[in-house]
Amino acid sequence: MELLNLQPVESYKTFLKENIRPDGRELMETRQTVLNVGSISTADGSALVKLGETMVICGVKAELTIPSAEDPGKGIVVPNMEMSALCSSHFKPGPPSEQAQVITKFLDNLLKSCTVIDTADLCVMKDKLVWVLYCDLICLNYDGNALDASVLALIAALQNVKIPEVTVDDESGLPHTNMEVKKAFATRGMPCATTFTVFDGSHIIADPTLKEEDITEGNITVVTDEHDNLIYVQRQGGLAMPEAEMQKCVKRAVEHGSEMRKLYLAVAS
Amino acid sequence: MAGLELLSDQGYRIDGRKPDELRRIRCKLGVFTQADGSAYIEQGNTKVLAAIYGPREADQNMRNQICHDKCFLNCEYTQATFSTAERKHRSRGDRKGQDMSTHIKQTFEATIQTSLYPRSQIDIYLQVLQADGSNYCACINAASLALIDAGIAMKDYVCACSASLTKGKPVIDINHVEESSDCAELSVAILPKLGQIVYSELNGRLHANELPDVIDAVVRGCKDLFVVMDRTVREHLEETATTFTHS
Repeated sequence: MELLNLQPVESYKTFLKENIRPDGRELMETRQTVLNVGSISTADGSALVKLGETMVICGVKAELTIPSAEDPGKGIVVPNMEMSALCSSHFKPGPPSEQAQVITKFLDNLLKSCTVIDTADLCVMKDKLVWVLYCDLICLNYDGNALDASVLALIAALQNVKIPEVTVDDESGLPHTNMEVKKAFATRGMPCATTFTVFDGSHIIADPTLKEEDITEGNITVVTDEHDNLIYVQRQGGLAMPEAEMQKCVKRAVEHGSEMRKLYLAVAS
Repeated sequence: MAGLELLSDQGYRIDGRKPDELRRIRCKLGVFTQADGSAYIEQGNTKVLAAIYGPREADQNMRNQICHDKCFLNCEYTQATFSTAERKHRSRGDRKGQDMSTHIKQTFEATIQTSLYPRSQIDIYLQVLQADGSNYCACINAASLALIDAGIAMKDYVCACSASLTKGKPVIDINHVEESSDCAELSVAILPKLGQIVYSELNGRLHANELPDVIDAVVRGCKDLFVVMDRTVREHLEETATTFTHS
């Protein structure tokens, strides 16, 4: 273990030669994932994800607002990822880190492209009143691959959302909220992200830890849905990789996605 | 206020507790791997996470705070946007958060043996996940456990508890409903073994003659908390010790 800290790259090479990683995983193996929903009672929906030692919590708050003029019949979903100095000594206190902003943008794109929630469902009264769902994610402990964990947390929290029934009075035009009747949204699709990284230009490893992220270059994130469609593929530069390797990643992502969807269904029931 | 009776005629509070009863406490040490020390505490519906980094070399942009004979503390209190009934986005360094951070920092400056760590920095990060009253107290208790987990030398445990006075009776460990009523609120942090008070804050009006009763009740509350915290620390240590001997 000492050597792993002093000469991480060299000791990693000896491990990878045997097709195993220092934590006992195979190259394409992901870490154990724990999902817990509804643990924050002040939020309208919440989920806590533990991906190995990486921990992300997501809380969704619903508010009523006036829709934008461009989309009068559509609600709004706003994700926001926070990676403060609390979660790792890598982050310094101050404005949101670059990485957190990248993840926020990624989640935003993901929600828009795969319509987990049809924003038309969030409309209470066209042009007058819509729901806005603020999805705040906080990384509590950062041990690599915050992206996969935050996608899981976000989707699970959205599935967990229950909002009160709102009726608009015909005469006065004022909304009336009935806190007694709460209903869940029909979420469409269960996207699941799988991240890989390239070590030394030749080895592809899945679900990197923080130590592995430090010595590797170029993440590839593949998001699949329940019909094994690809929804999003992101490759952020780094070392060039052969096309065949890319296929391998996609294949593994599909497998991993179906495993994770079992988890979604298990907590939902 | 009609209909909202903080203490019923039978002597029970809104959530069914007796006046001198704490809420259910659940705590855990060593919840994170990245931090040098961490703890989680649940006092009723108030849920707080604490992470400690350090003692470590002082950060570049905090150079001006370095002391040659002791360490300095950096404390950051954040409240999750989804922690309260109404969503509030608190930007970093808002007044309430700053205020809380300073109070927590001062409490621990009085407790940590800072002279043992010259020229270093200790970071205390607090994250409130769910707020239901007595946030300060839950933060102090969580940070105290996290500092113990980090192995930082302290004079004693720090245990904090809040109290209020309704119908002439002191009620301890107040929840959000009791906190938002117009009663006085007293928060106290004590060093239970030394029997010293390191922090106290009183908000709202209280007759001077009634103060001793309230302090008495709140100190008893702190001591009850200490029993729970001490037990958690001992259990945690036993657990860690067994994993060490087996491996």
